[in-house]
Amino acid sequence: MTPVEAGMLGQVALLAAAVTTALLVPSDRWRSRVSGILCALLATGGVVTGAIALTGGRGSLTIPTALPLDPLVLSPDRLGGLVMVIVSVVGVLASLFGIGSARVASASRTAWASMAVFLFGMQLVPAATDVVSFLLLWEIMTLGSTALLLAHHATRGTVASALVWYSAMSQLSFFFVLAGLAVLAGATGGTGFAALATLDPASWQASLAFVLLLLGFGGKAELVPLHVWVPRVLPEAPGHVAAAMSGAMVNIGVYGALLVCVRFLPNGPAWWGVLIMVLGGVSALYGILQASVASNLKVLLAYSTTENMGLVFLGLGASVLLRGDHATGAADAALLAALLLMVSHAVFKATLFLGAGAVARSTREMNLDRLGGLGSRMPWTAAAFGASALGAAALPVTSGFVAEWMLLQALVHGSRVGGEVVSVTASVAMPLAVAVIALTAGLALLTFVKAYGIAFLARPRSEKAKQAREVPIIMRIPLIIGATVVIGLGLLPGPLAEALASAVGPAFTPDVRTIGLAGVDARGIDVVLDPTTFVALAVLALAPVLAAILVSSRRHPTRVSALPWAGGGSRLRPRMQYTATSYAEPLVRVFDDVLRPTRDVEVTHVGESRYLVERVHVEQTVSDVIETRFYRPVLDLAQRFGILARRAQNGSIHRYLSYSFLALLAVLIVVSL
Amino acid sequence: MFASVFPQLIGLCTGALLLTSALMVWRHSLLASIRLLSVQGFALAALVAVIGVEEREAEVIIVSVLVVLVKGMALPWVLAHETRATTRTDEAPRLNPTAGLLTVALLTILSYVVASRLLSGDTSISAHAAPIGLAMVLIGFLLLVTRRQAGSQLIGFLVLDNGIATVAFLTSGGVPLFLELGISLDVLLVVVILYVFAGRMRNKFGNTDIDQLRKLHD
Repeated sequence: MTPVEAGMLGQVALLAAAVTTALLVPSDRWRSRVSGILCALLATGGVVTGAIALTGGRGSLTIPTALPLDPLVLSPDRLGGLVMVIVSVVGVLASLFGIGSARVASASRTAWASMAVFLFGMQLVPAATDVVSFLLLWEIMTLGSTALLLAHHATRGTVASALVWYSAMSQLSFFFVLAGLAVLAGATGGTGFAALATLDPASWQASLAFVLLLLGFGGKAELVPLHVWVPRVLPEAPGHVAAAMSGAMVNIGVYGALLVCVRFLPNGPAWWGVLIMVLGGVSALYGILQASVASNLKVLLAYSTTENMGLVFLGLGASVLLRGDHATGAADAALLAALLLMVSHAVFKATLFLGAGAVARSTREMNLDRLGGLGSRMPWTAAAFGASALGAAALPVTSGFVAEWMLLQALVHGSRVGGEVVSVTASVAMPLAVAVIALTAGLALLTFVKAYGIAFLARPRSEKAKQAREVPIIMRIPLIIGATVVIGLGLLPGPLAEALASAVGPAFTPDVRTIGLAGVDARGIDVVLDPTTFVALAVLALAPVLAAILVSSRRHPTRVSALPWAGGGSRLRPRMQYTATSYAEPLVRVFDDVLRPTRDVEVTHVGESRYLVERVHVEQTVSDVIETRFYRPVLDLAQRFGILARRAQNGSIHRYLSYSFLALLAVLIVVSL
Repeated sequence: MFASVFPQLIGLCTGALLLTSALMVWRHSLLASIRLLSVQGFALAALVAVIGVEEREAEVIIVSVLVVLVKGMALPWVLAHETRATTRTDEAPRLNPTAGLLTVALLTILSYVVASRLLSGDTSISAHAAPIGLAMVLIGFLLLVTRRQAGSQLIGFLVLDNGIATVAFLTSGGVPLFLELGISLDVLLVVVILYVFAGRMRNKFGNTDIDQLRKLHD
């Protein structure tokens, strides 16, 4: 038995243990502790198995079936190992956090049992090497997450409607994936992944399968237009569940897209790349626009996931397009950038959601307009959230920065190879993509300045925020680990990039090396980034300055400072501060046509006077345009059809009998023709 | 001697089956229909016995006795007992007798057309009579669709079942005893359950018009 096989069997055993204890332990508190630890162990099993597979370890579990198909084989390759590591790391963080944060509904038997099932499904999807086991584990993952969310329906009424959206969208993307894989299997005559890869990418079956699979996996990765469940479901989920869904599950969608573009149908035609880029670019822009105007912290983070996944797909699309144009160096760099972005997003988004979960636990408030001043009350959470927000805003020295830097470099170097224009499509697409990323990056910066600044800085805007207290240590540990990984990956991009480059082999071999102090050298496009050296130099240069400032500050007595415009008194009230809504107001005005906010201003006058105002009530809501413009009409049409269909099904037994009778007669008549 | 009479006997039995089925569509009275059902049961048993004698199989003869007991006597007795005790109104079908008989004619023609396609290779006498079984299935279905009372529905169901049995006997030359025993018990059980159900309906609503059962939809 190889280590990988032992690891996968160990995960099965841990799943059984976690589900059994979740069902048997009677008290909520102890259930959270025991099941949380078992879930964390289950995820750790995934980390170890994935890491061994990533470094080249092999092993397979074969499940015999009676179906006339290829056998079900679980055997992670390097790419599968990478994805397994990513989702499992997030799983470990989420499980640890859950030990401390799970209460009432999220500490119930259903919640912990389905958490284990969810993690198990996610960790083993990347191990599947045939269509049936892939779809089976995919559904285990989806059902696990659905049941996990369902555990909360008793406490909040909105959960039910959110879950309907989630289930419908999951099934829609499952349908697309199923149809796409069926087309591939039909065209190649096998259900093993190795058999699927024999299809010629130029054939029409390949194109059909590609479009279907892109839609399906894009739906799981929360891309527009299948993202509508995201802003509904994630705010309803407790922090650790949202972290597992938004930090880990989306990566399975990306993994699916990578399977298509790297394993099944490499070297596809150029329009595939353009299609992926358009889907990714639109998602990135739309996601960050919605995030920038959201005032619910979890909605903001949820839309930010759409944005990041959009960027991942943008990179993937650029790599497909450039590979078709034989700009291999830039194509490899774009693929690498997509992988870097996937890794960094998983870590920072999980940490951000855990931070939001900590805030929710301390304040029971997710509306940024009522938060504030948490930085001094919850210093650990604030530090971890801040570091991850830096990552999400793609600022140095975080992993997010490295990823976006690599993506921009690939796009900038992509349209020309050795001074020659590679193709007209590329020379139009690349500058456009750069513009999209630039706008996205700017808006992301604004968004996370808002998220961090309004929630953690300034003064508390409500009583709940004022009484917030730091979360217990078991919840702080995953936050700190997450933040450390965000910064650590940003400081060590070289080894990370080498590991990622090895994962997409043997089909593609991006040429990257570690240079300097764990810096990255993408030799295909001749660019170098060494953040550690940069930081070390900066520290060396700034150390004397800092020392001088410290020394001089010792010499002078401390000054008492007061706000000058408050006349010496500190009468600054929380109501005078910027709120999330007012901060985003300029953006809402600029992007009015896209966001279409509804504003409701209600002025109450004092007595008969037109000039004296007693109070002004302003309400602004930004709805999801795609939901209202695209899904609503479709749903209304379906509803109308349903009403028509109800007329055919009026409950009369005679009518139902007549239907069968007529059907029988029709069959007989057809037979006798 | 028997070989020369065999085709006529088969024709007689199947003719009786078809005639009773058609008469059931024509008659509205529940009790009359039950009597016809009993006759049909005897005709079916006779058909089975004829096939048994022709093929010289004792088992098939036993099956024919079983058919007499269940379809000729037990089922009609259960139905009649219940009907006499409770029913006050006659059936008011959705199709008038003339239209009903015309439909029966059309269904019979259809079944002959279908059977001629399906059994074109088979020239045996029993296969030649098989369309009658198919016609009975269709007529049973017609009764199910057009009758309102639960009791008449049950009769339609039994005609349908008789039709299936007829096709089975004619095309396969007899059904194994155990299979026939199982099917007969099943049918008996279904009839008893449906009759209990009809009795409950009558207690609850005062009649057994299944048109009133309309709550069973979304």
